[in-house]
Amino acid sequence: MSAPDQLSVIFGALADPTRRAILARLADGDANVTELAEPFSISMPAISRHLKVLEKAGLIARSRSGQWRSSTLQAAPLQEATAWMEQYRQFWDTSFDRLDAHLRRVQQADAEQAGAEQAGAEHGTTQRTAE
Amino acid sequence: MTTTTELTISRIFDAPPELVYRAFVDADQICQWFGPVGYSCPYESAHSDAEVGGHQRLVMINDDDPTDRSTIDMTFTEVVENELLAGHQDVQGIPGTTGTVRFHMRLEFHAEPGGKTRLELRQGPFREPLGDDAVQGWESSFTKLDSLLRRSL
Repeated sequence: MSAPDQLSVIFGALADPTRRAILARLADGDANVTELAEPFSISMPAISRHLKVLEKAGLIARSRSGQWRSSTLQAAPLQEATAWMEQYRQFWDTSFDRLDAHLRRVQQADAEQAGAEQAGAEHGTTQRTAE
Repeated sequence: MTTTTELTISRIFDAPPELVYRAFVDADQICQWFGPVGYSCPYESAHSDAEVGGHQRLVMINDDDPTDRSTIDMTFTEVVENELLAGHQDVQGIPGTTGTVRFHMRLEFHAEPGGKTRLELRQGPFREPLGDDAVQGWESSFTKLDSLLRRSL
């Protein structure tokens, strides 16, 4: 299993608002299915299906003992996903540093051209006056 | 907890929106700044047609290894001159992979006091379930990005 395979599973898991809400709830502390189902108007089996998706993505861990399985947020995969997007941010930041320099060159060239045209116009006026 | 699925960048450029916009839509100009140092964007391979339904195609090539290249094909769905460029971007990675990654892209050019421009970039999503081809595309794109970033450090 390559890293991008796992990342696509993570992004798939994050694509659902209910699952994101479950993760947000777990960020406040561990919870069982009943507690997780409370804020939502959907059945516990549906919540269980969401938990399976999150578990497969490695975003949560579920304890195996006892009647009430407790879910725990696993932060590492999220950090991996975030790190990935940060690489894109760096890509743009680097490009935009170059764009800064490019815009300075363009403005300088425009100013020089404007200066040259002005000088040319003045010269033309002088010539016409002389005629 | 934050689960961001869209990249947003806000940046001020010390130039008016007309110039910043032109630097994006003019193929010759975008080739002069797009991508990190050490990569070139050959003018002859660049194409830019900033109108609804038009494309902007760029090839980015590693100066030291011409086989290391990416193609970016942007299709414009919204164009407001000097104000807005939006559409989707198909990014293809290194040769040997057939994958294409599709992002939606939105670039807003806002005039700021003092002849400056605030650029708002939104790119994503970084979350949709991907097919095998797309996964390959991600892999190749980010392998390339990895090397790009290593070079730019």
